[in-house]
Amino acid sequence: MWLRSWIIFSVIISAALIVLFVGFLANASLPFFADYGLSPIIGSEWYPYEDLYGFLPALLGSAWAILIALAIALPCGLATAIVSVELLPQRYQSAVNLCIDILAGIPSVVYGLLGIALLLPWLESNLDLLSGHSLLAAGLLLSVMILPTITRLSQDALHDIDISYREAANNLGLNWSQQLISVLLPQAWPSIRSASLLATGRGLGETIAVMLVVGSIDRIPEPWYNLLAPAQTITSRIGREMGEASVGSSQWSALMACGLVLTLAVTLLSLIAHTPHKRMAHG
Amino acid sequence: MANRVNKIVLCLLALPALLVPLLCLSYLLMRGLPGLDSSFFGLSTLEQNRDGASLSNQHGIVPQIVGSVLLSALACSIAMPLALGLSLFHQLYAGRHSRSFMAHILTTFQSIPPLVYGLCGLVVFVHLLKWGISLAAGAIVLAMIVLPVLTLNTIHALERIPLALTESARSLGMSAGQIIWHVWRPKAWRSLLTGLFLALARTLSETAPILFTATVFSGVIWPDSLLSPVTSLQTHIFYLAQEAVDERILAHAWSSALILVTLVIMFSVIAHFLNRHSAKQ
Amino acid sequence: MNTIHNSAQAATSITSLSEKTDSQSELLPAQNIRVQVNKLSLKRSGRLILNKLNLRLLDCGITSIIGPSGAGKTSLLRCVNGLDKDWKGDITIDGIASKRWPKGEDALRQHIGLIGQKPTVFPCSIANNVMFGIRGKLRKKDNSELIEHCLKQAALWDEVCDRLDHNAQTLSLGQQQRLCIARALAVKPAVLLLDEPTASLDPRSKNKIEASLQSLSKTMPIVVVTHDLEQVRRLGGHTLFMCDGILIEQANSATLLDTPQRVETREFFQWSSCDCPPEENE
Repeated sequence: MWLRSWIIFSVIISAALIVLFVGFLANASLPFFADYGLSPIIGSEWYPYEDLYGFLPALLGSAWAILIALAIALPCGLATAIVSVELLPQRYQSAVNLCIDILAGIPSVVYGLLGIALLLPWLESNLDLLSGHSLLAAGLLLSVMILPTITRLSQDALHDIDISYREAANNLGLNWSQQLISVLLPQAWPSIRSASLLATGRGLGETIAVMLVVGSIDRIPEPWYNLLAPAQTITSRIGREMGEASVGSSQWSALMACGLVLTLAVTLLSLIAHTPHKRMAHG
Repeated sequence: MANRVNKIVLCLLALPALLVPLLCLSYLLMRGLPGLDSSFFGLSTLEQNRDGASLSNQHGIVPQIVGSVLLSALACSIAMPLALGLSLFHQLYAGRHSRSFMAHILTTFQSIPPLVYGLCGLVVFVHLLKWGISLAAGAIVLAMIVLPVLTLNTIHALERIPLALTESARSLGMSAGQIIWHVWRPKAWRSLLTGLFLALARTLSETAPILFTATVFSGVIWPDSLLSPVTSLQTHIFYLAQEAVDERILAHAWSSALILVTLVIMFSVIAHFLNRHSAKQ
Repeated sequence: MNTIHNSAQAATSITSLSEKTDSQSELLPAQNIRVQVNKLSLKRSGRLILNKLNLRLLDCGITSIIGPSGAGKTSLLRCVNGLDKDWKGDITIDGIASKRWPKGEDALRQHIGLIGQKPTVFPCSIANNVMFGIRGKLRKKDNSELIEHCLKQAALWDEVCDRLDHNAQTLSLGQQQRLCIARALAVKPAVLLLDEPTASLDPRSKNKIEASLQSLSKTMPIVVVTHDLEQVRRLGGHTLFMCDGILIEQANSATLLDTPQRVETREFFQWSSCDCPPEENE
């Protein structure tokens, strides 16, 4: 009997937490949308003291940062997975896994610290910048942080390929590169796709490390593709200003709205990542 | 020939994944180790004001370590029973539709950024319930963050138990409780502990969600109650890193980071070790 | 004299009215009905697996169930044991409806032992495996006697008596299956159901299991689902032929095997007498 009541208790508590979460996130951010409508999402100015809340700089910053991160982490992660699963003998695989585990285990605040100490000075000296705080720094740091996610999921995808496909490819007389491109990668592609979507979600939500290196300037870079200027991402803005915003003010609800936008984006990514790929459904 | 070129290109692309962690770890050791003296841990009070009043007190880094571990332990002790209950519900009572619904909800909530959980905790616990910035608020927020991960892990562990074992135990007339204790527990406890240690490591490395809900930079040494704020390693490093000008302050930050990484890696290694054994079984 | 004759006549007429198709009660008229299944239906993802099936088991004796794969034989056993719960109809065991079993479904499953096709031993010692179903319900000292008794009943005692504390997974498949029988017997069931107990075993283990079933059948009703027609003949007793969730025909085993009345049964025997191996029943 205690078993049943415990199970019911935990289900109720968890359901309550979920409802609480969704309810209060919506409740806290709705006043903002009620007052300002949806236009702030494409507004380019964010000055809380003048009641200007444009999301665009932060959205653009987040997009740039995650694009840089993916552009680096996707090829590197995929290559690491291929090398560890297809090229290296069993013994060295665990060494690679250890490296990936370490990479995944380092807390984001330590990455931030490393970014400040190593990345920023390096960028300053090599690119001749006044300050290394930039979207490029944030993107580089994020690429290291999402690398483990991509590598691990791609490794799993390669491991899951049925042995018969490999044998069939061997029997056809394909060489290693041909096998990789025409058999293994197409088979693993749905998982790799969802791996990169999940990594995107993870990178979008990363806060502390990005906050420490991005510079936190609420401006659209000049020109808009200037990655070397200090900028802002959604998470770094929330992290910066949440401590200062007074409860119930318009700034407060604007930040909550940022959180809601972030949640919706990440949830969407996760949903796409977890719906089976069409090619899989057709066999 | 093309084969070899392709392989070399792939290996070059894979190099960062191997070099970056080594670089990070060695740099961390290089910067962090020199600071790990007795005054850092508050063991000697001779140079207690060396780093300035705001940085060090007679307890050194110990209150931060205690705060971090306390937050993690509390969060996991809240989340673990709930995760167990949820996964047992999934296994015992849920039908096919509610099972897939649960899985969807859990994976969705797993992907929501920790920062947003922090926001929610700030609204509900800190302001609405008027707990203030407190240990309890931080612990619950962290528990919410690891709950989906822990539940999914527990469900996977239970699903790996062969159905035939469960069914033959049921056909012997054993009750659900007896099956859980005599059949599932011996099979799954290693995986459950693995999940628990991974969750501990995860909560230790989360910074953003407890930044506004649980921790303060200074002014607190030991938390008096569940409703008092704490200091934690993660946020301590964050505050120090923001000030990153003074070399002595940075040295302090590096040593703290070294302690934090050691703690996290320790828990991960324990989890890894348990997992390897369960794979062998 | 007259009244006696009258009542006897009345009794005969009632039997012939209500149980014309049921030859079982005529064969063994003196026994009680232990398990009665009435209009049992089971649906799985839109497919009717059991279709208004009727069945009765008497005090003792072996009942074999044969039929093609997917006929619902396994499902029937699972419904009677209570592993499957979403069936419709009535199952009455010793006069009590199984859906209203006094101490809940766990007690019902203790009452009705079910042994699966593949032996599933728990990863612990042989002795603990035998005691698995009654853990915590017995004092320590009773154990060794009960273990010996159950293992003897399952014809396994001679082979394992000197290594009761060994891991049960080291036993051969045939021994594991007999261990499962001993484990089911330790719960002291009133009825024993076996789902292809010898499907994956060698002839020697088969033989031992059949012998132990025959001796057990003197004290309790036993149901054996099998694909092996020779086994049906060896076990004797009563045989049911099922197809597509319907009970087609039932008779004394030898009678049914030698002179099947229905077309479906004859067809099935024809297929079975060809050298095609019996399909795996999931």
